[in-house]
Amino acid sequence: MPPGMQFVPRDPLPLVASIVAAVLLLVAPWLLPKFAPDFWVSIIAEMLIWGLFASSANLLLGYTGLLSFGQSLYFGFGAYGVAFAINNFNLGVIPAFFIGVAAATAIAAIAGVFAVRLTWHYFAIITVVFSLIFYLIAVGWKTVTGGDDGMSFALPPIARIGDTEFTLLNATFQYYFILTIVAACFFLQWIVLRSPLGMAFKAVRENATRAGLIGFNPYLVRLMSFIIAGLLAGVAGALFALFSRYASAHYMFWTVSGEAVIWTIVGGTGTLFGPVVGAAVLTVLREELSTVWEHYLIVVGVIVILMVTFAPKGILGSIAAWRSTRRAGGRDAAAKKGAHA
Amino acid sequence: MSGPILSVRGLTKRFGGLIAVNNVDFDLPAGELHAIIGPNGAGKTTFFNLVSGFLPPNAGRVVFDGQDITGMPTHRISQLGMARTLQIKSVFNGLSVYDNVWIAAHSRHKFLHPLKAARSFGATAEVAAQALAAVELTDRASELAGNLAYGDVALLEIAIAIAMKPKLLLLDEPVAGMSPEETQRTVHKIKELSQSVNILMIEHDMETVFEVADRITVMTQGVVLCQGTVKEIANDPRVQEAYLGVPEDSTHA
Repeated sequence: MPPGMQFVPRDPLPLVASIVAAVLLLVAPWLLPKFAPDFWVSIIAEMLIWGLFASSANLLLGYTGLLSFGQSLYFGFGAYGVAFAINNFNLGVIPAFFIGVAAATAIAAIAGVFAVRLTWHYFAIITVVFSLIFYLIAVGWKTVTGGDDGMSFALPPIARIGDTEFTLLNATFQYYFILTIVAACFFLQWIVLRSPLGMAFKAVRENATRAGLIGFNPYLVRLMSFIIAGLLAGVAGALFALFSRYASAHYMFWTVSGEAVIWTIVGGTGTLFGPVVGAAVLTVLREELSTVWEHYLIVVGVIVILMVTFAPKGILGSIAAWRSTRRAGGRDAAAKKGAHA
Repeated sequence: MSGPILSVRGLTKRFGGLIAVNNVDFDLPAGELHAIIGPNGAGKTTFFNLVSGFLPPNAGRVVFDGQDITGMPTHRISQLGMARTLQIKSVFNGLSVYDNVWIAAHSRHKFLHPLKAARSFGATAEVAAQALAAVELTDRASELAGNLAYGDVALLEIAIAIAMKPKLLLLDEPVAGMSPEETQRTVHKIKELSQSVNILMIEHDMETVFEVADRITVMTQGVVLCQGTVKEIANDPRVQEAYLGVPEDSTHA
């Protein structure tokens, strides 16, 4: 920062909250079974995957200003990439994971070339159309994809050192495997969003015309964002396939993309961890409500409508806005006090 | 530098049956502050849109700094060193004032680094700080651009343009809608700026134009009516005619 520039000191709360959340996630496999059934460790692992998936919609909507209803396509490619690599090519977990991610990123790059020429509802529609095309292929081509029944596979162990075998069949190991990769993906997003490329995303989101006048090619900037978002969705899909030991056309349907958008909006569009918070809140809600009432989706729908109407910034966005007005108020008061003294 | 910074030949734009810009020839010598004036609908903003790549012309050529830029997209023209402000002020509302100029200052980089922190680019930060200082918005740096007063948004838009280190700056009605104080402040800035950059501006406010411009071009109904110094234009009867209409008695004469 150049001298002479006075900047407001950063709010320490996000950092503190992130550290607390990180510690809780790290000790969850020990802590959680003390007061909840064991399967909650797996539910948290699943939430992390869905949170990562939602973050791909958030990168586009929250940071680049593109509403995608087609992220399930890249999720599906990630999942099927893993399933094919393990079933048809007998590859190990790690190579299969990378094949899934590479497949998702590649298809995102191809679809992106066409999709990011459009914006707003036209963009939203073309992303749905792309995902529907591949969904219908996957559903119809049952012999290869298993259609809606899916394609299940047996998990090979990841590594063996002496007598210890590292396998995702061990729930604790699986949890840390997922946590590590999801954390790495969020670290990558954090790095990109504070880079010049991330600044260009936000510039295009705020005002694509002005971004063009300044000398950025809005088309290329959007394409970069679209490819990174495809990669994130692909990682989520690959993890989900490993987690559930199968891939299914069902997860390529556009309603799955829609959930990513809803989780993002509820958690906080344009906040890094909003999608995880949104995914966590709504999956827990689903988990709890579905045991009580079969029409639980109505409740979820009402919550989303209330959220969009009264707190359009979502959970994290609203907290941030509330904190910043409070802090600004505090500064003004302090300034007045200083003036009196 | 030899030759004009901007040279336009036979530039024409039609919207359906309307010819908004009709076979316009225009040269802007380097080193002058030039104003384009004319009544509403004279084709001034369309002319800007053609020059800056917002619209493709139906005919004619635009040469900027020795390079033919006819039909180029805005971002490429911008990369060649042309900056532009818009009639309806256009900044990045959701970003801080500082980030607004930072992005502009960084736009000269061909490669957008995806992994290095934006704050670590020292040269960019320096250019951004200078641009903010030039319009005296340094103490608003951390505010959201969308929260600024109208006059400050206009200045921020100029700061964004300065941060791009342009060879030519197009200003579209820079003082429109401003209070007298804001106008005075902006006029002062434009005069200062014209020492270091070529400026071509559209302006309705005659007082402002006569105060800042070295030379003036008058447009009406899509064509260039006349060109000259402030004094020549002020005394040209054709200009008065274009603005005020022909006096009753002279039409009968």
